[in-house]
Amino acid sequence: MTLFVLQRYLAVGAILFCIGLIGFMTRRNLIVLFLSTELMFQGIAVNFIAFGRFHMGAAFFHGQAFVVFLLVIAATEASLALGLVVLLFRRKNTLDADAWRDLKG
Amino acid sequence: MLSPTFTFSPLAAAVLSPVTILVLCVVAGVGTILLLPGKRETSIRWIGGLVLLAALLIFIAIIVREGAAMRGEAVYFWLFSGIAVISAIRVISHAKPVYSALYFVLTVLAVAGLFVLLWTEFMAAALILIYAGAILVTYVFVIMLASQAHSGATGKATEGAEYDRVSREPTLAAAVGFTLMGVLLFVIFDKAEGMVPATPEKTPAQAISEGGGSVRALGAYLFNDQLLTLELAGVLLTVSMVGAVIIAKRYVDEGETETQPEVIVTPATPLDDNPHSIPVFGTRNPVAKAYPEN
Repeated sequence: MTLFVLQRYLAVGAILFCIGLIGFMTRRNLIVLFLSTELMFQGIAVNFIAFGRFHMGAAFFHGQAFVVFLLVIAATEASLALGLVVLLFRRKNTLDADAWRDLKG
Repeated sequence: MLSPTFTFSPLAAAVLSPVTILVLCVVAGVGTILLLPGKRETSIRWIGGLVLLAALLIFIAIIVREGAAMRGEAVYFWLFSGIAVISAIRVISHAKPVYSALYFVLTVLAVAGLFVLLWTEFMAAALILIYAGAILVTYVFVIMLASQAHSGATGKATEGAEYDRVSREPTLAAAVGFTLMGVLLFVIFDKAEGMVPATPEKTPAQAISEGGGSVRALGAYLFNDQLLTLELAGVLLTVSMVGAVIIAKRYVDEGETETQPEVIVTPATPLDDNPHSIPVFGTRNPVAKAYPEN
């Protein structure tokens, strides 16, 4: 894998990560907020796999193993976060993140 | 695959200068600000989308012209990454969360395609199974659970909620996000020339066949070298499952206690109470009386 091909994949990963970041900062719906974090996870996964492929050899599997654990973290995060979202929705009957603005510290 | 002579040429310095990246990021940022949901007309959002698309196409064109090769892997790479980036933009810019979730499925599928291009078929399959299969179904369930009551309460299901239609600080967020993107792209394309693969380059087929197949080699690596981490991941999944159950259960208890006290407005003894009446037991209403003499 040539260097230039690696850079393309890194660029895609960076673009996905930044789009997710913008979504996390702008959107007010709690569910879309967590979808944006999943987008950031996608960008990071592309980075890991591309670097593993770049270094081939043993690092090929290091990158994949890292993405396996990343999927585990994403699954835990999604289950806990969505449980909390449902809980919060039933408290105030809205998904607006600004409804919890009075939570300080 | 590109020819090896191309590898370490001063690739991006001349063509993809920092100024180019900066200008493209500014244009894309303006497009994103216009595209994000807000109190604007639909036509302006369309223009924002077109501006963003144009910036993306210019970026692709510059890299494609530099790379020169447009065959085999490259065609699929541009296809998949284009689908991934465009649907990612739709995820954060669509006003309805259900559509955001569906566009996210599209992003996941395109990223899985990129993984196949990188010779990691198992990760592509796992990504589709876990993300598009499990996580996204959970998201769609929660969206249905949470928005059903809302649309019923306001009666404006087609309009969507106010917090979905108006985004928060789009200018600031786009500035921060695209500054980060510009810096990252600059570092990736301009400062990465000293990077050399640690091991001499093998073809992917060689490396996979040495480990006896892609999945087998990955499994051997996970269960031999990363056993502790794997067990920790399992513990983490169990803990999160228990936590999710407790979080979901806690509400049910509180909900019952909230609805239990019954407010009684009627006075216990009405003013025109019949002196011969007998209170009826088995009901909480003190006005319910029986009149045996009548």
